[in-house]
Formats: sequence, structure tokens, C-alpha cells
Amino acid sequence: MITIRGVRKAYGSVEVLHGIDLDVARGENVCIIGPSGSGKSTLLRTLNHLEDISAGTIRVDGHLIGYEERAGRLHELRESAACQQRLQVGMVFQHFNLFPHMTALENVAFAPIKVKKEKPAQARAYATELLGRVGLAGKESSYPSKLSGGQQQRVAIARAMAMRPDVMLFDEPTSALDPELVGEVLAVMQDLARTGGITMVVVTHEIGFAREVADRVVFMDQGVIVEMGPPGQVLDDPQHDRTRSFLSAVLR
Amino acid sequence: MSKPAVAGRIVAAPPAASGPPLKVVPVRHWGRAIGAGIVLVTLAGAIKGVATNDNLEWGVVGDYLFDANVLRGLRLTLAMTGIGMVAGLVLAIVVGVMRTSASRIVSGAAAVWVFVFRGIPLVVLLIFVGNLGLFFDDLTLAIPLTGVELWSAPVSEVVTPFWASVTALALAGSGYMAEVVRAGLLSVGRGQHEAAMALGLPQVGTLRFIVLPQALRVIIPPLGNELIGMLKASAIVSVIAGGDLMTAVLGISGVTFRTIEMLIVGTLWYLAVIAVLSVGQYFLERKAAEK
Repeated sequence: MITIRGVRKAYGSVEVLHGIDLDVARGENVCIIGPSGSGKSTLLRTLNHLEDISAGTIRVDGHLIGYEERAGRLHELRESAACQQRLQVGMVFQHFNLFPHMTALENVAFAPIKVKKEKPAQARAYATELLGRVGLAGKESSYPSKLSGGQQQRVAIARAMAMRPDVMLFDEPTSALDPELVGEVLAVMQDLARTGGITMVVVTHEIGFAREVADRVVFMDQGVIVEMGPPGQVLDDPQHDRTRSFLSAVLR
Repeated sequence: MSKPAVAGRIVAAPPAASGPPLKVVPVRHWGRAIGAGIVLVTLAGAIKGVATNDNLEWGVVGDYLFDANVLRGLRLTLAMTGIGMVAGLVLAIVVGVMRTSASRIVSGAAAVWVFVFRGIPLVVLLIFVGNLGLFFDDLTLAIPLTGVELWSAPVSEVVTPFWASVTALALAGSGYMAEVVRAGLLSVGRGQHEAAMALGLPQVGTLRFIVLPQALRVIIPPLGNELIGMLKASAIVSVIAGGDLMTAVLGISGVTFRTIEMLIVGTLWYLAVIAVLSVGQYFLERKAAEK
């Protein structure tokens, strides 16, 4: 589903991704862990071209993301084409980024109506259904400011799902939450992973979630993938010192 | 029970059962009362001084308050402020958005625009625009480099005092309002842009549906002040005989020699309109603050 080859990313003279290769199969759930500054969020953001890249290729479902190959060169896509590509990739942010001037329902139904030109009634019905699925039935007309962090993040998940994406990206979805609210968001994500069909890439610090839900865990440090494999292998029997020291720091 | 200390009374007070409840006496604010007294006396003196002044003919104020020329001037003041505000705001949104552009040339041009039109005194700008006919003969709309003229007219026909006033007010207002718009746009966080982008919403849609509605909440209060400021500033178009309220009252005072009375007529109208605008602004702000 996702094929990442030799991806490099530099801000000016500072390179933050030093050549990343990664494949994610359709329906797979991959959790990316690693210390802050390791480039994991940057990598995630290149997958829907929120960040451009300096070298390499990213393909989602066979389509080159953010670029177009012409005469042996990669040309960055125009905005309209990049927008078109983002339709199949949903994203959930660390700070939710709900639209504060819209109700929960409007947040979820907005993009299907305005971007995908779905019929409003139909989009609203699906939005209501999705809000129900994330446990927010009855909160349709609440504004984000009236919702807890955990509820806001669940609306954000419903908002991304409303576009019926093939791939969902989660950028540290629970890092901004109070500890007691982390569980409800992880439960929704777990439900999403279990129902299957959707490919998930999750940047997270929740080792427990990774262990339980991920098909594969990727450990990144200093702009490279240090090791990856099934959670049992990477989390319980890490092969590299860097992985070991990170895990012992996090799990202490 | 004699007279125990207040603090002692709280501790020692038996349960409600015994005696009537104690009366609560709030602290007396003598300073406030004295201050209010001074204010009232001063106010009464000022009102008496103005109302019973033999040199002020209040009858003249009454005679001219609804004079046809004054009302025509008021209508023109409202019209030029209204058109100037709308045109200024449209310009300001364009300039404010340009100011946030990634292109240095585009944002630089917008910065220069703000610098120039915020910097030139309105009266100077007004005299420039009002006398445009002195440096340019024709106003021409053409496609650059092709020589194709779409529309052309002599400046003296187009730039009437009214339209010169509107133009000057709009240009001066756009300088200030562009900064207000820019501040509003910047108040909407990066995350909102990213969320809209991730949903596949193009930039124009993001501006229209996500950024502007949120920016308005920040923009509306200073914009209300700007409108009131422009209404007052419009009085200055009397220097090019803009035909506004101020031009009208000064014109009448030139004939009757009752200058102060006519200025009072003007003042009453300006205050009346501003009172209405302030109420409008209050409700607009309340509406924008909801959610």
C-alpha cells in the first residue's frame, strides 16, 4: 500500500531524514516509535505531502505522492493535484486541529461536502454514524471548545474517516491528552485497526498500544530506521543498543 | 451580651437558636460618594454654562438641525463613509492576504502600500486625489503592453469631490485595515491550515471556510473602531468641498455667522450616528464571540 524508497529530507543544510525505506502492506498497522527529534513525525508528514522531500520516492497505492516524474526528474505537484492525492490519506494530529467555529458534526461533514461534493444530507448522515462509532452520539451539535481533549481527538478521527481514506496517519494522537483521556482515544484506534480494511501508520509514545495493536513496530532514531519487526521482537527482544536504551527509558 | 469584638462574636456565636440574626453592615465607601458628588456638581455646572449661555443661540441649533442642506450633507457623509469602508475593506483584505504571501515581491508591495497610505495624512491624500486633474488628463483602463484601451475618461469628469473623498477615505482606511486583516489571518494557527490541507481542501477554500471565519472574530472589534474613525475623519473632506455634513454646516455658518451653533448641529449628528454604530458593533461582537 505504501512504498517508501530512499527518502531524504533536509531543512536548509540540516538533514533530518537520511534515506528511509519502508513498506506498509494494505490493511497493516505500523507503529513508529523513537525519541523526539528522530524524524518520525516528519516522515509521517511526507506521506501526504504536508512536508516536501529532498530525495527518494513515496508511493501510496502505486501513486507517487507529491511529485510527478517527467523526463527523469521529479516535479513537485501543483496544489490542486496534491489536494486530490490527500483524499485517500486521512490524518489525525497531535493537537486535534478541529475547526473551532464548527460543531462536531460540521467538522466531520465539512470536507465530504465541500471537497468531495457529497450530498449534504448524505454526508451528515455518515458523519452522525461515524460520531456514534467513536462514542460521541449526542455530541453532534457541540462545539470543540465544549469537548474534552479525548472527545476532540475522537471527533478528529471521525473527521479523517469521513473522507473514506485508504490510509490513516496518526501523528502522536495521544501526546497532548491528559493521562486519563488517553485510553478512550486508543480504544477508538484499536477498534479501527480491528475492523480492518484500513491501513494505519501511527507515530506514538504508547508502547502498550504498539505492542497490542501494531502488526509491525518501527524504531527510528536520528533520521534513520534502526530496526523494525513484529512488536514481540522489537519491543521485547531489541537487537540494537539504541532501541534498548530508548525502551528502558520509556518503560521505566 | 455586651459588645464583644467582631471576631470574637463569630467564634463565640451560639447556634442560630439564640436571639435574632445579626445584621450585616457593608463597608461605607465615603471616597466614592464624594467623587460622585464632585462629578455631579461639575456636570451640572457645565450643562448650565452651555445651556444658559447668552452667546449661544440654541434656537439656531434647533432651526438648522433638520435643515435640508444639513440632511443632504449627512446623507453624503453616510454614503462616502459606507462606500469608503467597503472599498477600503476589500482593498485591505487583498493587501492583507498579499502581506502573508511567500513571495517577497508580493508581500513587499503590500508592505509599501500599508506604509504609504498609513503614513500620508488624510488631508494631504485628499488634496492629492481631489486635484488629480492637475497632473493627469485622462483616466484610462488598458491592457498593459498591448495598447488596447478598455475605457478612458477625462479626470475632471470622473473625480468629482464626492468620489475623490471616497477614494481618499478608502485608500487611507485600507492601510490601517490591511494590518488589522493581517493580524486576524495570523491569529489562525498553522494547525488549522494543515488540517484543511490534509482533508484535501484547496488554499482558496481554506481561506474562505476555515481561516476568514476565525479571523473575523479578531478583526471585527478593531474594524468597528475603524468605521467610527472613518466617519469622523470624513469631516475633513470639507477642505475640498466634498459636500458632506461638515461642508454643509460650514457653508451655512458662512452665511449666518453662527459658526459654533452650526458645529453643534454637526456634532449632534456625528454623535447620533456613532451611537447607532456602537450599538451595532456591540451586537456584532457578541455574535462573533459565540461558540
